[in-house]
Amino acid sequence: MTTTTKSRARQTQGGIALLISIFILLLISVVAIALIVSSGTESALAGNYRSSTGVYYAAMSGLEEVRSRLWPKDPNAFSITDPGFLPSATPLPACSPVYVINHLDSETVTPWIAGSTYADNEFGPEFLTTGCSMPSSPPTARSIWRRSPLRNLSFPGPLYKWVRINGVTERSLNLDAYPYDGTINNGLVYYDGVRLNDQTNGSQVLELTALAVLPNGSQKLLQYLVASTTLNLVFPAAMTLDGYSDAYSGPNHNFFQISGNQDSGDSACGGPSMPYPVPAVGVPDNPDINYVINGNPGPGSTGIPGGQLGNYTGTGSTPSVVRVNLPPNLQTVQSLNQLVQTIVQNADTVIGGPADQTSIPSAMSSSNPMTVVIQGNPAIPSQGNLTLSGGFTGYGLLLVTGTFLYTPDLNWNGIILVIGQGNVGTTSGGGGGSVNGAILIAQIRDSSGNLLAGPNPGRATFNDATTSTVGRGYYYNCSWIQAAQPAAGYKVLSFHEIAQ
Amino acid sequence: MTCIRQTSPEAGFTLIELLAALGIFLLITGAAFSLLTSSQQRYQTDSQLLTSFQEARLGLDQMVRDINDAGYPPPSFVSTDVTTFTRSPFGWSPGYTVPTPCTVDITCNPPGDFDLIIETNPNPQDGGPVQWIRYQLGGPNGTTLLRGMAPKQWGHDPAIDTATNLGTFVENVVNNSPNLQIGQFQLSATSAGAVVFPSGNPVPIFQYTCDTPITAQPPPTLCSAAGADNSPANIRDVAITLIVASPLPDATTGQPRLVKLTARGRRVNPNQ
Repeated sequence: MTTTTKSRARQTQGGIALLISIFILLLISVVAIALIVSSGTESALAGNYRSSTGVYYAAMSGLEEVRSRLWPKDPNAFSITDPGFLPSATPLPACSPVYVINHLDSETVTPWIAGSTYADNEFGPEFLTTGCSMPSSPPTARSIWRRSPLRNLSFPGPLYKWVRINGVTERSLNLDAYPYDGTINNGLVYYDGVRLNDQTNGSQVLELTALAVLPNGSQKLLQYLVASTTLNLVFPAAMTLDGYSDAYSGPNHNFFQISGNQDSGDSACGGPSMPYPVPAVGVPDNPDINYVINGNPGPGSTGIPGGQLGNYTGTGSTPSVVRVNLPPNLQTVQSLNQLVQTIVQNADTVIGGPADQTSIPSAMSSSNPMTVVIQGNPAIPSQGNLTLSGGFTGYGLLLVTGTFLYTPDLNWNGIILVIGQGNVGTTSGGGGGSVNGAILIAQIRDSSGNLLAGPNPGRATFNDATTSTVGRGYYYNCSWIQAAQPAAGYKVLSFHEIAQ
Repeated sequence: MTCIRQTSPEAGFTLIELLAALGIFLLITGAAFSLLTSSQQRYQTDSQLLTSFQEARLGLDQMVRDINDAGYPPPSFVSTDVTTFTRSPFGWSPGYTVPTPCTVDITCNPPGDFDLIIETNPNPQDGGPVQWIRYQLGGPNGTTLLRGMAPKQWGHDPAIDTATNLGTFVENVVNNSPNLQIGQFQLSATSAGAVVFPSGNPVPIFQYTCDTPITAQPPPTLCSAAGADNSPANIRDVAITLIVASPLPDATTGQPRLVKLTARGRRVNPNQ
């Protein structure tokens, strides 16, 4: 009996305590959950922004990697790491995409397979309507993050999954490129340095499309259009005096010649854009023809000595001094200045002068022509001066922004641009050298270094009449001109994010 | 019998015990409810602030995306139809129709501190024309960031065309509030250890850096320092600062609560 009563009392008290405990716990839990939800929302918002920014730059890194590797001078160029990945001599068709894959160790990335984890769902909307179909096994290359030595890093690289490379057509771009014939067809699109066209002018436009996906599912699809921008300099004559009221003084010696005729053994320059022969000396207007031949009393130049007229051969009658049509990038002070900047940006080396042959990189050779610029502060002309002597031999493109002096034993194979002070002369030394390629002289800055108002360049000056020795002269050579063209890499023509 | 006497006191509670238990119970529940009430107030305030934050962040993301895409397709896509490519990554007014080059924030506005027009084609695959996308601080109290689009048309002024299409984008943007209000914001922000309005002045939503192509590849500089290159076509970066206030003041302090968000959009497309 006693035992039963005790048991009932304990049970009643225990029940009340339990209920009170549960109630209090419930209240505290509600408060705690409210606090957690509040702080959790804030964390989620901050995290979303971080993901959005991170995935954008991950995709951009893929585009930039591929853009760089398209350029043959890149140490990781596709032509070095994956020969055959891209066609070398023919354009890349629109219907034959290739992929750069950047997968993690734990995953497989096959964007060409519809329905796969990282399928390329953008190719269809762009190209399937043009009659293309996705190849079953397109060429692939590994990203630099999947190649040694970066693949051995302890942290992952950028989380882009793939980059597609393909040609583009008017139809895929939904654009009537030049010429504006009113039709949008399936012809490949090219870039001539100014505009898109479907006439194979310039270099092929390539489309790069990158997909980046973060582990949390954030993803972005970015797209570039790029094109190779070798400067593609066109020289209308063996020597172009790109100025007005020019001053030319040629040596009075039979040994010196300027020739616009085809060099023996030079067969690379027979294309429709610049057939041989070209003028020996080209000028932009008619009065300068007279100044070159007979001298210009203003600056006191002597012209071509009467007995040497026959040494200037090429287009037209002898002497071959001809008015030429200059390409747009060689016509005005502004365009020439832009050209200088472009060359500076893509030069192998930029040397602050006054400089001489010891400043020229020793790595320059016939198999490794280089782009060398002599330019310091553009406002200080002397920092653009160059003097070459001692039988120097150079290969490539030489841009001198100040005064260019050389001894007549200079040999240069390629392009010489004297754009700035526009002043070329010889100084005493040996003889017998020659320039094989082309030279262009243009004055775009005054003696104080100020850019001329333009639009026309100033006076171009060439004086080879004062030294006792003489060189062999200037010989137009398209092979060397082509070899010396500076490669400017792949230029971004457009960028946009594809909405998903 | 002895057993009954012993168990009788344990069958119930004395009055003292009940009062003590009730007192303790009331204390605990009172404290819990008090905490709950204050938490609810803070949660409401925080919710409003987070809503503002979220709207501002989403708006900021959209602005960055539009600026990144500015100038698509670039002028190299030139064709006979001017509505299929951009002339400049950013539109301006006045003088766009002629067009007359202008100086950012000096002889033209937009682009300005609180007004920006982006020229791009946001959906090129749709085959539609290039659009003018405008962001402008306005609204009844000057605290609403508006967004509007208009298709690019030859001979039209983008500021006029977009003006009728502007709609609410982000509310309670206080970058350009009156000085008195900025002072109030400043006080509450300073007490929180932050200076939201340096020198107590309005904070531009948009600040620009320009390319300077006259010299070789310098880093972009503030457009005001870019001299001859200070034009909308040369804008490279747009730094965005959004200062957003919660709709209601803080429930506990009575002070307005602010969120300051920053981001940067970078125009990738070439302008020629």
